[in-house]
Amino acid sequence: MRLSGIRRGKKKLTDGMTLADRLLLAALVIISVSGLIFIKEAFPQGTDVRIEVNGKLAYKLPLNNNAIIAVKGIDGDTVVEIKNRKVRITESPCPNKICIHNGWIDRGAIACLPNRVTVFVDSSEGKENKAIDAITG
Amino acid sequence: MDKKSINLLLRYSITPLLLCLLVSCGPGEKRLYKETRASMYTIVEITVSSDSQQKAKTAIDNAFGELERLAKLLNFYAEDSEISAVNRSAGNKPVRVSPETMEIIEKALYVSENTGGAFDITVGPLVRLWDFQKKIIPDRAIVKEKLKLVGYKHIVIDKEASTVFLKTKGIQIDLGGIIKGFAADKAVEILKQQGIKAGIVAIAGDIKTFGIRPDGGLWKVGIQNPRQQTDKDEITATIAMTDMAISTSGDYERYFIIDGKRYHHILNPKTGYPADECRSVSIIAKDGSITDPFSTGIFILGAEKGIKLLEEMGIDGIIVDKNGKIHTTPNLRGKLEIIGDSQRQKKTN
Repeated sequence: MRLSGIRRGKKKLTDGMTLADRLLLAALVIISVSGLIFIKEAFPQGTDVRIEVNGKLAYKLPLNNNAIIAVKGIDGDTVVEIKNRKVRITESPCPNKICIHNGWIDRGAIACLPNRVTVFVDSSEGKENKAIDAITG
Repeated sequence: MDKKSINLLLRYSITPLLLCLLVSCGPGEKRLYKETRASMYTIVEITVSSDSQQKAKTAIDNAFGELERLAKLLNFYAEDSEISAVNRSAGNKPVRVSPETMEIIEKALYVSENTGGAFDITVGPLVRLWDFQKKIIPDRAIVKEKLKLVGYKHIVIDKEASTVFLKTKGIQIDLGGIIKGFAADKAVEILKQQGIKAGIVAIAGDIKTFGIRPDGGLWKVGIQNPRQQTDKDEITATIAMTDMAISTSGDYERYFIIDGKRYHHILNPKTGYPADECRSVSIIAKDGSITDPFSTGIFILGAEKGIKLLEEMGIDGIIVDKNGKIHTTPNLRGKLEIIGDSQRQKKTN
């Protein structure tokens, strides 16, 4: 078999490895794989955009509808744009504009610390009833 | 009645007028009863929570009766209305009016004062220069001439004598920008007098809520997407509320587009031309007589001035500006669920 041929080959992967090397290799493989799983689980692809000001929920929007919203922080408006299931900050009164340079995200979060505005992409748990009693417009 | 209202009426007229929405089946438990009728030149939907169908029907009938009474009293187009009597006597003499007429004019003047004249009940003659069906833009010289007949400061009220006087001949009061919100308040008062503890009165887009739904929840109101393209994107946002009113003014209700420019019915009383800072403005406050005129006034002022003024006055609002950007007063944080796409451009014809 091809596999046994490889095992019999001169350049066997584990040749010259001590037990410690092998344990280290195994540990690295486990850490890498579990890291990937952790990221997937901790930041699953989101369905909702949650915007907080000063740690308090200000707005919640779905990720699958395009929208632009001006969020008033402590120094002025941080403008959040949702487009094609991604979200970014396009305008901010902060000095370094790090939040703007962060670009588009579809999971995780972007924070504008000077203006105290944080944008999270969440996956929603248990959608509430969308029934509407009346429409204004 | 516009095309949209007629479509709505047709849609509802094929369903039984009184819909009983079953919330729970136990005897004596509260259910929602809803009735839709054409009234006040639009579609009116009244929903009440009651443990008795008969009680609900009587209350709803009385509320519709109140709307008819107010429409008769305050209708600009009816020759025998009090408003028409006041308009006919412009530049001539004060006219004695009923307490409701005095009340609504007083409230309109309050909003005019607070919006710096952005909301003005004397703007009617300007609006009638436009024909949104035939896509007619009025001549600039005629607009300029009619502007002389616009200005809420021409209205003089004497509360003690219960009279209204228009100082200049040709000035006309048209309550179209406040009457629906005002009437929603009055209809709710009637429902409460009839022992109804919870319900909604929706006069087109002017909505007043009170009490709690039979399921214990608040009333959920959707705010229309000003650039709706399909049935699926009708709503821009929803808000749960009770004991509050909400009204929306939008540039999508009566409009036409020429050379890519949208001409709509919300005119700036100072220029005579459509205000172009916003796509829609929704106002939330205790009374419909506040939300209805403020939605127009704030629409004309635009997002920046509008949010500032609303914050100063302790009124809440959601503004979709001319670029589709959503602005809200800080108090609405955490209360608003934004679900629609305000960015889509409606295809021009």
